[in-house]
Amino acid sequence: MAYSQCFSVSLSHTNTHTHTYALSLSLSLSLSLSLSLPSLSVSLFLLSLSLSSFSLSLPSLSLFLLSLSLSLSLSLSLSLSLSLSLSLSLSVSVSLSFPPSLSTFQTEHKMSIEECCRKFNTDIVQGLTNAKAAEFLIRDGPNCLTPPPTTPEWIKFCRQLFGGFSILLWTGAILCFLAYAIQAATEDEPAGDNLYLGIVLSVVVVVTGCFSYFQEAKSSKIMESFKNMVPQQALVIREGEKMTINAEEVVAGDLVEVKGGDRIPADLRVVSAHGCKVDNSSLTGESEPQSRSPDCTHDNPLETRNVAFFSTNCVEGTARGIVVCTGDRTVMGRIATLTSGLESGKTPIAKEIEHFIHLITGVAVFLGITFFILAVCLGYTWLEAVIFLIGIIVANVPEGLLATVTVCLTLTAKRMAKKNCLVKNLEAVETLGSTSTICSDKTGTLTQNRMTVAHMWFDNQIHEADTTEDQSGASFDKTSASWAALARVAALCNRAVFKAGQDQLPILKRDTAGDASESALLKCIELSCGSVKQIREKNKKVAEIPFNSTNKYQLSVHETEDPNDNRYLLVMKGAPERILDRCTTIIIQGKEQPMDEEMKESFQNAYMELGGLGERVLGFCHLLMPEDQYPKGFAFDCDDVNFTTESLCFVGLMSMIDPPRAAVPDAVGKCRSAGIKVIMVTGDHPITAKAIAKGVGIISEGNETVEDIASRLNIPVSQVNPRDAKACVIHGTDLKELSQDQMDDILRNHTEIVFARTSPQQKLIIVEGCQRLGAIVAVTGDGVNDSPALKKADIGVAMGISGSDVSKQAADMILLDDNFASIVTGVEEGRLIFDNLKKSIAYTLTSNIPEITPFLLFIIVNIPLPLGTITILCIDLGTDMVPAISLAYEAAESDIMKRQPRNPTRDKLVNERLISIAYGQIGMIQALGGFFSYFVILAENGFLPSILVGIRLNWDDRACNDLEDSYGQQWTYEQRKIVEFTCHTAFFVSIVVVQWADVIVCKTRRNSVFQQGMKHTNILYILLTYLPCCVFINLCPPPPLSRPSWWFCAVPYSVLIFVYDEIRKLLIRRNPGGWVERETYY
Amino acid sequence: MAKDAEKSTWKDFIWNSRTREFCGRTGSSWGLILLFYLVFYIFLAGMFCLTMYVMLQTLDDYKPTWQDRLGTPGMMIRPRGKAMEISYNTTNTETWDMYIKTLDNFLSPYNNSLQAEKNEECTPDQYFVQADSGDVKNNPKRSCQFNRTFLEKCSGLDDHTYGYQAGKPCIIIKLNRVIGMLPGKDGQAPFVTCGAKRYKVGKDEWKEDSDKIGEVEYYPENGTFNLMYYPYYGKKAQVNYSQPLVAIKFLNITLNEDINIECRIISNNIPPGSVRDKFAGKVSFKLRINTKG
Repeated sequence: MAYSQCFSVSLSHTNTHTHTYALSLSLSLSLSLSLSLPSLSVSLFLLSLSLSSFSLSLPSLSLFLLSLSLSLSLSLSLSLSLSLSLSLSLSVSVSLSFPPSLSTFQTEHKMSIEECCRKFNTDIVQGLTNAKAAEFLIRDGPNCLTPPPTTPEWIKFCRQLFGGFSILLWTGAILCFLAYAIQAATEDEPAGDNLYLGIVLSVVVVVTGCFSYFQEAKSSKIMESFKNMVPQQALVIREGEKMTINAEEVVAGDLVEVKGGDRIPADLRVVSAHGCKVDNSSLTGESEPQSRSPDCTHDNPLETRNVAFFSTNCVEGTARGIVVCTGDRTVMGRIATLTSGLESGKTPIAKEIEHFIHLITGVAVFLGITFFILAVCLGYTWLEAVIFLIGIIVANVPEGLLATVTVCLTLTAKRMAKKNCLVKNLEAVETLGSTSTICSDKTGTLTQNRMTVAHMWFDNQIHEADTTEDQSGASFDKTSASWAALARVAALCNRAVFKAGQDQLPILKRDTAGDASESALLKCIELSCGSVKQIREKNKKVAEIPFNSTNKYQLSVHETEDPNDNRYLLVMKGAPERILDRCTTIIIQGKEQPMDEEMKESFQNAYMELGGLGERVLGFCHLLMPEDQYPKGFAFDCDDVNFTTESLCFVGLMSMIDPPRAAVPDAVGKCRSAGIKVIMVTGDHPITAKAIAKGVGIISEGNETVEDIASRLNIPVSQVNPRDAKACVIHGTDLKELSQDQMDDILRNHTEIVFARTSPQQKLIIVEGCQRLGAIVAVTGDGVNDSPALKKADIGVAMGISGSDVSKQAADMILLDDNFASIVTGVEEGRLIFDNLKKSIAYTLTSNIPEITPFLLFIIVNIPLPLGTITILCIDLGTDMVPAISLAYEAAESDIMKRQPRNPTRDKLVNERLISIAYGQIGMIQALGGFFSYFVILAENGFLPSILVGIRLNWDDRACNDLEDSYGQQWTYEQRKIVEFTCHTAFFVSIVVVQWADVIVCKTRRNSVFQQGMKHTNILYILLTYLPCCVFINLCPPPPLSRPSWWFCAVPYSVLIFVYDEIRKLLIRRNPGGWVERETYY
Repeated sequence: MAKDAEKSTWKDFIWNSRTREFCGRTGSSWGLILLFYLVFYIFLAGMFCLTMYVMLQTLDDYKPTWQDRLGTPGMMIRPRGKAMEISYNTTNTETWDMYIKTLDNFLSPYNNSLQAEKNEECTPDQYFVQADSGDVKNNPKRSCQFNRTFLEKCSGLDDHTYGYQAGKPCIIIKLNRVIGMLPGKDGQAPFVTCGAKRYKVGKDEWKEDSDKIGEVEYYPENGTFNLMYYPYYGKKAQVNYSQPLVAIKFLNITLNEDINIECRIISNNIPPGSVRDKFAGKVSFKLRINTKG
């Protein structure tokens, strides 16, 4: 059974997860152990970082908080033992998350009706008694799907507060408080810097957390609005009486009646049916309505005719059935449960951020430890050294980056929403950009989900009908008399009608009542010949035989238009071969000709050709009945046919298809050039699927499947080398037999794949197969059947209009216009934001170096502190923010849709090259610029650089009020502190000045700024950064930079940054793949 | 298993014997990148030195570019004590011995013999201006004598303990050097006056110890800084400059109690310093003389 197969797959998945978790924990533990006593804070830091790499589930979260708060007050050993217990609890919580087990499916469809009635204590005529029904209702519960356990709001909020990047900032904040606590305990007048820094860090995290929480709350509100709030009704027979009750009250054993247009209230075993057809598309993906009858036609309950499924729709006819399953026990319910049991993995951007945190932590800890050792060697006390260590680690935390990333993602999410992609989860914004495989549903996504007449065959010729949405396509010659006859037959032998009150709507958009193919015919005739209603009024219907599966035709008899002509017109449509059998003549150019062998042959060819296009073909014929045999007023008896249905006149063929959406072929082409593999997964027939796949370019022109090659070379399929065929169409039943290796082989070796006749579980297997090969998979779908795959995929894309609630719940993104083409814009935006985030991060990280080097030199060479904590915060949270966000608006440097999707193992958001450029090169230039202005101010005030080294002890001594400068003047503490604060301001201004150059430089990674242009930037932003800078300088207690020259000390360095990076990019462009690119292209 | 793989990748990362890579790079790759950074940093250092050199060229050797932070000169005392707190026990020599040593050290350059040798006698009560004539510097500049004997009882010549042993300690007060500063206009020399310091004891409660200070003597007379010691021309031009001093001697200060004292400079052209700066134009300290063992 497919269910069990799927179960075992996800089970093994969970196991491997548990394994890796435990592994990384033990790693982090050994690390923190090896750091020994003085690095209490470090181990704490590492511990929390390693924690951040797990998706924090609720129990681990609370434990995490507990451990942090405890280890703050307790000793090192305790925090270690706590972290040990933490690892245990984590692995436990992980191993608990199994998918719910699935019981074997019902067997009622194989039972006779009587057996069935016995099983449910019901009666085939009377139905259940009310008492029994009430009893069953209590036993089974209401007939509705248990909504997936929605995460409480506060947990969602906590996830925003403590997820991913925030952990880094929290750790920083806690370290700050720790440092302050140490200072407070050891010093009389502790400097408030660490306390403020800790508070600011916490505030930043909380504010950004709130921001992204409200962002997501907003999009989930839009989701809510999709929900259909109208309660469903069901017609049940209890104690022999028909009654309409709430669908929720339906119980197993109830006798239920459904008619066309109803929603099936529960899983039904059909006991009687009259022309009943159900639309199973939301369950199986088949777009064609399926007829239902009391006979068991298949062992598989999903395929058999005598079961109708919960929440599918009855399209036409009536049926009566016994309820066999209700609520979560229905097939639909089980799929929904399967979905909620699936764990969706981390988003690629979350992984990237994790990788980034690792890098930053690595650098921070390395620097921290190095300077810790240095400080100890230089004779600082242990406590001082620990404070320095914490200070250095915290200084490496990019305070503003979390906010920047969140805002950038939000901006993109908004931009995507404008283009009809609603993103439910901010992190999913980027996922589409990394997508390398799209598994697309066919019906509704690639196609319009609207049967449309595609081709006609009359006058011995195939004519193409216009199937485009805007009717801009080719048209055919409408003057032929044969066409007039064909149109008349199609209009008359047709029971579909437009629903009332839609006159102002375009014809193709109107709703119809009736079978999908009849509706298609109706619309086609209405479009080309005008009002069908009038035609029908002119040709009054006299008699009718509806379609049934034994006749395979539909027939009606009409009066003719001409009032003087008393003959009756018999029109018939049906399966082409059956119609042909009844015809002796054929109409060609309006003239009847005998049906000869040649004609039959050409009919066969046309029929084959249209069938090969995956289209549903109908044959049409008519007969003007001789007046002598059938005079006016002849009583046509449809049950016992008393008129001729033979020797008719063949008129033509019409074939219908659910045509692809107009923009889809283009979109698929774009995906292909963007290196994204598009796989079609559908419940439809292979032929139809293949035809649509060819139509939209999923199987591109000139590519053949194994079968195509076989038929072209006229050899058996088995002799064809499967490697020769790039394309393949795989039937769901074949898929069932494939081993994992064979599956991988297919996915790896075929570029163009169509899966037809697939079940929901198989969709899941396909997605897992792709993921196993390292692909980042996007899945589109609308039905309940798609939701497990949507959940499993890296990014699930649901349809906003046609999508079911379950699918929208499971998806990460919703296409508001149901159009596959919107995905392409999503991919483009996703790739763009990935590139722009890189730039943004490169920009933000750069200023870390000029922020941290002052502190390092302060420790090592004992100069007065060149840059204070408050000023650092002003940069990180003030002047750096707007430019960093402005980089999110940057236009793409090249056609991002022409390159391969990024390789998640190689192309990282933040890599060593980015760090090397930001920290090692640009950052160093910036630091020098800052130090230059620092030295200028001190020198101009009398402290030459030579005197500064080692001056720190006296400089910071409050009691030393006659400190001598290079000129012999003497300074009080306050006097020199004012100079020091002036230096802080100047250093700050210098960083702002060099960051201007940096933001311009970061606009591009390869192109010259002159190629990119200054659009989307920057003058405004530069002014915007200038403003807070000026305000800061003029409002804060430290003196303003009174000398104009002090504002421009760093300008030469700013120019240097610009020139240096332009040269670097020039070298990258000149020598693609050269050393410069390998070492510096991030 | 996965663990082994993890281990081997770690080891591989540090030293991959197959590709001969250390930390993900081959030897030549490491060489190139290190060479690049070496050259790059040398270049940066060069650039930095160049800008620093240009900046230093703009500076005057004798006078800093800006002096606006030194509008009100600071004041300082000797001995400074620990955080401006001088406390000792008259009976315990060790508690005040260090003060004596500090003062001895501090005053040794003021020995009359040294002063006579290096500096000259100037006309008192007027500025000792030695202007440059245009671009021609009038260097080195001469300095006026400030003889140790000016401090009389606090010179330490007669009383080697500066009165510390007797519970009548001397404190030496100096005004911070500021290049070009001319304190006191119209021939009125600035002078030092000491009194009790108002200090906070509680919320909105102030206290001063004025009744406990007792009599104070100033040396030189009236505690003046003679005008002939100004202006100061900087340590390069005026190598042997002797900073004028004022000594105060507490004759009958209350013993065994903390006494807060504040000395200010009184001058008709020194602006009052900022409120924040407790040492601009004034100096305050705490004195406690214990007599009991």
